[in-house]
Amino acid sequence: MAVSLLHYRPWRGQFRATEWGIWPIARTALWMILRRKLFWVLYAFGLLIFFMFFFGQYMLAWATSQMAEQTVRVGAVRAEPERLVHLLREVLRLDGTAYTYRNFFWYQGYMVMIVLAFTGSILVGNDFQFGSLPFYLAKPLGRWHYLLGKCLAVAVFVNLMTTLPALILFVQYGLIDPDSPTTFSYFIGSRWLLVGILGYGLLLTVCLSLMLVAAATWLRRTVPMIMTWTTLFVFFRLLAFTLVDGFHYDPRVRLIDLWNDTYLVGNFCLGNEVIHAVEPAVYQAALVLGALSLLCLIYLNQRIRAVEVVR
Amino acid sequence: MGFIDLDRVSRWYGTHRALRDVSLHLQPGRIGLLGPNGAGKSTLLKILLGLLPPSSGAGRVLGHALAQAEQTSTRNPFLQSVLRSWIPAGNSDGSLLRRAIGYMSEADALIPGLCGSEYVALAGELYGMPRKEAQRRAHEVLTYLGLEDARYRRLEEYSTGMKQRLKLAQALVHDPPVLLLDEPTSGLDPAGRDAMLGLLLTLGREHGKSFLLSTHLLGDVERVCDRVVILHHGQVLLQGSVQELRTRRQDRYRLQVQGERTAFLEELRLEGAQVIDDNGRGELSVVVPQGWVTRAFFALADNHGVLLRGLQRDDEGLEELFHRVLAENGKHGR
Repeated sequence: MAVSLLHYRPWRGQFRATEWGIWPIARTALWMILRRKLFWVLYAFGLLIFFMFFFGQYMLAWATSQMAEQTVRVGAVRAEPERLVHLLREVLRLDGTAYTYRNFFWYQGYMVMIVLAFTGSILVGNDFQFGSLPFYLAKPLGRWHYLLGKCLAVAVFVNLMTTLPALILFVQYGLIDPDSPTTFSYFIGSRWLLVGILGYGLLLTVCLSLMLVAAATWLRRTVPMIMTWTTLFVFFRLLAFTLVDGFHYDPRVRLIDLWNDTYLVGNFCLGNEVIHAVEPAVYQAALVLGALSLLCLIYLNQRIRAVEVVR
Repeated sequence: MGFIDLDRVSRWYGTHRALRDVSLHLQPGRIGLLGPNGAGKSTLLKILLGLLPPSSGAGRVLGHALAQAEQTSTRNPFLQSVLRSWIPAGNSDGSLLRRAIGYMSEADALIPGLCGSEYVALAGELYGMPRKEAQRRAHEVLTYLGLEDARYRRLEEYSTGMKQRLKLAQALVHDPPVLLLDEPTSGLDPAGRDAMLGLLLTLGREHGKSFLLSTHLLGDVERVCDRVVILHHGQVLLQGSVQELRTRRQDRYRLQVQGERTAFLEELRLEGAQVIDDNGRGELSVVVPQGWVTRAFFALADNHGVLLRGLQRDDEGLEELFHRVLAENGKHGR
């Protein structure tokens, strides 16, 4: 040991408020994920969906400007501009309306779920599996600092894959909107859409963060995490579909499909009407998500215990 | 300002009483906390770290009040406990207290995937240091502790000795006046243990760090600490300076004799002395009666033609003291 050669130097700086400790927790968790190649592969898949919407909107604007032509060339394919506009506007709904963002959140949600299932154990589970929790809680932090830090990390992921790309789509459509007389007409006319996008993002952030942190705290390892996540978001979805659409159970049975619950509430934020007739009410979906989030909080309250610092 | 001032602190876990009216008034220094399993050492550390409120009693550590004793209302205890646990700690005394303390846990508590410098810098940031300063300080402390070459290695690749030093580094990163050390030499080989104890001694003597060393290894306390607190069944059995406690046995001597010693020993017994240890190679431990003067040894040796080559007071070892105190407590307890 080099003790005899080197000298200990005192530190005389100023401490910051304890709340500043939240960001280093989140940053460390994010850094652990960003180091993994698998994350970047999944994120690239997520970007494909975004690019489909991004270039779809661009193509709509371009096709609208080509209406005078008989046919236009899209790569190797020749198409009538009128049909192309119909396809993009009416079928794919890439027209900057609430449906565009609802569809985007819906499709992107699948990628978010997969990424979260893989990252949950790294974000939170490892702290329990490898006993890192005492490292955090022996510092001047409360358990809510720890929880906020971890949820912030999840929130960054969720928003990086949903809200942020949705906002980019919103800005893009506003800039290229073929129907707007001025550059800012779309932004002014659709300002509530912006609130809806942020609302949908917030909903996903809060619900998914709490559910992921609670599940990772409980399960810790990646494989059980993926299995549980799949059960929650795929199996329950199929079950709800079978029971409600196949056996004509009460639509409220569909409340077990959590992804559908977020869809219903998010759809409400965007101001859309629910197309599917056999759906539970929005307030019921909101109640289920609220109750689930509360349960997660209660569980985390029990599980994240500072007294475990000294065994 | 006292280092630790506890006044009749007790802690119950349900019906089990882990600490019983513990009163301690310790000045800054190097303090050893000894006790068998279940003595209440961990509970005491939790209370000193401000992680657990005492059930009754009060205290201060470095002038910071300990968490308030639990007063659960009977009207809605569940809601009260939930609210208490989620109310932000902010800059409460508990959090200020942990900022003034560097805690080195017995468990590894490492974050796999990070390298040494990132881990220590993160600890600094969690203590409230600005990021840049935490990073700079992490490198300084790791260099000081001899981990300079390993600071960019992942924590999973560290040996046990390196992990122990790393844990000490994260406790030292914010330069706290006080360290709480939970089994710092656990799992170390003799050389590693020696190095760690040397390091702690240097930190205490040369850099004015106070620490509370909780351990089962009496040798560690004997080597590093100047004061000791012995806990048993949640009570403080004994506290004082190691030197003072060890020299309480002024009635015992260790002799080195050469020559035929049978008659010499017989004469010693007749004079009221008691030979408690004889290794057969001329080394004896003798307990003498009150009023004995050391000159008497020389006189007896001279009478029986024995050469007295060595005579020194046989102070009680800490281990011996520890076992004696526990045994006495057991007798009184019964």
